[in-house]
Amino acid sequence: MASSTAIKVSNLTHTVTSNTGDLTILKGINMEIKESESVAIVGSSGSGKSTLLGLLAGLDVNTSGEVLLYDQEFSGQSEEKRALIRGQYVGFVFQSFHLLPSLQAIENVMLPAELKGDKDARKKAEVLLDKVGLSHRLTHYPNQLSGGEQQRVAIARAFASNPKILFADEPTGNLDEENGKLIIKLLFDLNQSQGTTLVMVTHDNELAKMCDRQLVMSAGQLTEKSL
Amino acid sequence: MSFTFRLMLRDLRSGDLLTLLLALVISVSTVTSIGLFVDRLQLSFEQESANLLAADRLVRSDDPLPLEWKTQADALSLQYAERTSFTTMMFADNSLQLSQLSAVTDGYPLKGAYLVDDTLFGTGQSSTESPKSGEIWVSSRLASLLNVKIGNQVEVGDASFTVTKYLVRDPGSSTSAFAISPRAVMNMADLAATNVIIPGSRVRYSLLLAGERSALGDYERWITPQLNEGQRWQTPTQRGERIGDTIGRAESFLLLAGTLAVIMSGVAMALASARFVKRHLMQVAILKTLGATPKLLGKVFFQQLFTLFLAGALIGLGIGWAIQELIASILSGLMSTALPEPSVSRLWLGAATGAISMLVFCLPLMSHLIKISPLSVLQPNAKIELNTLFIYVVGFIGMYGLMCVYTNGFLLPSIMTAAISAIALFVAGIGWMAFKLGRSLTSGATSGWQIGLASLYRRLVPNLFQLLVFTLIIMLTLILIGVKSNLIADWQQQLPEDAPNHYLFNVQAEQIETINEATDTLNVPRSDWYPMVRGRVVAANGESVQALYPEERGEPELYERELNLTWSDSIGKGNELVAGDFSANGLSVEQKAAVEANLSLGDELTINIGGNMITLPITSIRTVDWGSMQPNFYLMLPKSALEDYPANFVSSLFIDESAAQPFYKAMSQFPTVSILNVGDILKQIQSIIGQLSKAIQLVLLCILSAGALVLLASVRSTLEERLEEGALLRVLGAKSALVRQALLVEFGALGFFAGLIAALGAEACLFGLQVFVFNSQASFHPLLWLLGPVIGVCVIATIGIFASRTVLKVPPMLLLRGL
Repeated sequence: MASSTAIKVSNLTHTVTSNTGDLTILKGINMEIKESESVAIVGSSGSGKSTLLGLLAGLDVNTSGEVLLYDQEFSGQSEEKRALIRGQYVGFVFQSFHLLPSLQAIENVMLPAELKGDKDARKKAEVLLDKVGLSHRLTHYPNQLSGGEQQRVAIARAFASNPKILFADEPTGNLDEENGKLIIKLLFDLNQSQGTTLVMVTHDNELAKMCDRQLVMSAGQLTEKSL
Repeated sequence: MSFTFRLMLRDLRSGDLLTLLLALVISVSTVTSIGLFVDRLQLSFEQESANLLAADRLVRSDDPLPLEWKTQADALSLQYAERTSFTTMMFADNSLQLSQLSAVTDGYPLKGAYLVDDTLFGTGQSSTESPKSGEIWVSSRLASLLNVKIGNQVEVGDASFTVTKYLVRDPGSSTSAFAISPRAVMNMADLAATNVIIPGSRVRYSLLLAGERSALGDYERWITPQLNEGQRWQTPTQRGERIGDTIGRAESFLLLAGTLAVIMSGVAMALASARFVKRHLMQVAILKTLGATPKLLGKVFFQQLFTLFLAGALIGLGIGWAIQELIASILSGLMSTALPEPSVSRLWLGAATGAISMLVFCLPLMSHLIKISPLSVLQPNAKIELNTLFIYVVGFIGMYGLMCVYTNGFLLPSIMTAAISAIALFVAGIGWMAFKLGRSLTSGATSGWQIGLASLYRRLVPNLFQLLVFTLIIMLTLILIGVKSNLIADWQQQLPEDAPNHYLFNVQAEQIETINEATDTLNVPRSDWYPMVRGRVVAANGESVQALYPEERGEPELYERELNLTWSDSIGKGNELVAGDFSANGLSVEQKAAVEANLSLGDELTINIGGNMITLPITSIRTVDWGSMQPNFYLMLPKSALEDYPANFVSSLFIDESAAQPFYKAMSQFPTVSILNVGDILKQIQSIIGQLSKAIQLVLLCILSAGALVLLASVRSTLEERLEEGALLRVLGAKSALVRQALLVEFGALGFFAGLIAALGAEACLFGLQVFVFNSQASFHPLLWLLGPVIGVCVIATIGIFASRTVLKVPPMLLLRGL
């Protein structure tokens, strides 16, 4: 069971300026996610799911309100501080994998540890790639891997920094059913074994149902879906 | 190994950093090779010219040389020698002859060599030693006139000398080109014994200097303020001298070529940086999501750029050095003398070009790269706010600065910058219209033609930019071709193979007919005869020259000395009327002399001819081609003003080697006629021109290769989009041939437009360069209008297809997956 609070959001509002005027995407969102919890954020396209994920992970700066990560004020910090906090607490898995095309699979997985100056980056990466079943693909480049394999590398990379929170943006969106299932299994296994908090944006109802909680994003408002 | 270098090594593997490194290497090596090569040529020209002067520098005086001049030369560790030249009567058995005699110290000549021979009228072997005491070397003509041979005695004043050589060329003779009498050289040690120099004798004393450039500069600064009216400081490349002009223009050309290399390198750097940044945007965003702070990324990229600079500069300098060595070794077979070693200090130019290019082209782009929001990983279309104005302004200023550093001036960079800006605007306008027209002609894209033309408009901005780059490169190439052929044609025109190489002076009217007959028999081409009357300008607009220039300093050449005056019915070969009416009853003045003396049409000059004062208005102003080797005059008077004065006549002739001996023999019946042989000087000038032409062609080749590489970089910069489109077309069922045809049409059309606009731009720039930089006549270049589009279509289509060959070869699936 979840013990302490991993993420706390109060009155989070986000407005963007476009040609047609100001557009408020998030309208006063309040929520809490406990440590080790798995949470799915669902909703129709354009409802603001990815924007919320971006703000939770500190990739963007909100217009008003507050985001706390393990009780640390996150949203108002400089890019420098936010990057440090991300490096310490956060891992990512993206819909389009976002591996660095010029790096081999193992080098992609080594990156987070290398950024922290970890000398055992390579060893750890090998272990992780083995866990995702790619120990035979270490020196392959992303364009030599299938979509499912690329996403497995991305998951290995996400767990390489031992994140406390893993954000996933449509992690199975670009995969076929079989690969999708494999990825979901991997994500939840690692979530369980490492006690990672999992926050996932998804269209996939099956996937959403596997999470402890489902939050529904609609017209900039967030509501809890009762299970 | 640090994270920076691990990342860098991985990037190198992918080729992105390699492209940037390659651009930097091209940039540094092109500028280095041209810079070093120009330096070697300049040194070589200086040496060649120094040979004509017999020294690096010379101070000439009408009075004996002050002792402190030599003391100062010693103090500055300069080598020096002395030459004392005067006209004197020389005696042998039964004959006597007025001759031009030089007495020289043992070290003479400091530069260059004598040409001497043991055979009368021989072509000569070089000798760097002067006659020993008791010896005299006489020219073949003098020997003929005195009827002496080697071993015979001649007398000069109270002393007697043995003829030991026939003098073909005295290395310093060109500086006193109008010493008309036949020449002889003796040792300075014997001068006193002759007792020919007495107070009041007309003697020219020269101190010849050679040594380090800096020491010569110090000496010049020391001596210049002390020089009086009859003393002058001379350098080998002094303006106004034919050789100086030729070299000056060649230097301008090479500078221009180097400047173009700087521009091309800049474009290559900018393109490579832009490609690097484009390919790294997502990488930086991803690294940021993984916790990389902007500070860390800044450090990583700065270290990468710095390492890249060090590597690029070192490799570039090495390659640059090798290229100029290669050019020099290719040229060495063609040149008469070996090129001097380049100064190592010139290497800074290449390194500075690399550093400035990195600073202005890479750094601003990189700083934007670091600012990219990590949100881009979630929203791939999130706008990346590039401050393009800032990037362009920095790049522009950097480029201008580089050109200024390179040319050590503002004129050339300003002309080039203005021209490029105008071209850019023009290209944008014309390109937009042409691409739009292309699209409207191709609705319903089914053939390669239609797809190709339509994609021009679809990728409007990148294509316009590419059009601009292509246009600039082709334009620069055309400019160089235009300037090169102009320059070389100009030189050849100036000094054709059969340019006159002898002057006849002191010819009396009644001798003309006989001399004409003699030259006609020998088939010797000859210019018209010009009468010559000596006169001196004493007043301008009623005010005496002494009153105008009381200090006798800065006196224009027109007033400074006694001039040869002439009259003629026609304006004469090599002369061109620029103002007034040549046939009017007044003075015709050479343009530069008029400008120097601040004279214009209508001003009146008073001329003293044999004690009579003639005052006439200026009724025409002419330009004179001093390089034509025709008799040329600063002042021409109406026939009515001069015909009553006794005149000598002058003409110039071209005498080839086979005609030389019979000609001299024929002329020996006119002992009073003076013959000046300028053939050796001419030969030397022609050899310099020949070397320059070859050097220029090689430099052009260098620049063209750099240009081709820039084109390649430019095509590669839009490769991703083309790859994606080609792959999509093929996925949709298009055959390779269709994709190839579409690419050919797209690149071909880009090349055609670029070539056409380039021809227009080059024509405009050539006009500016000819008129303002090279000071020559503007001319039209029809060849460029053909070359431009042809080069454009052929080269760009070839490079385009070559660079995009993966679009056609690689399976579309692999391409789509990799994108």
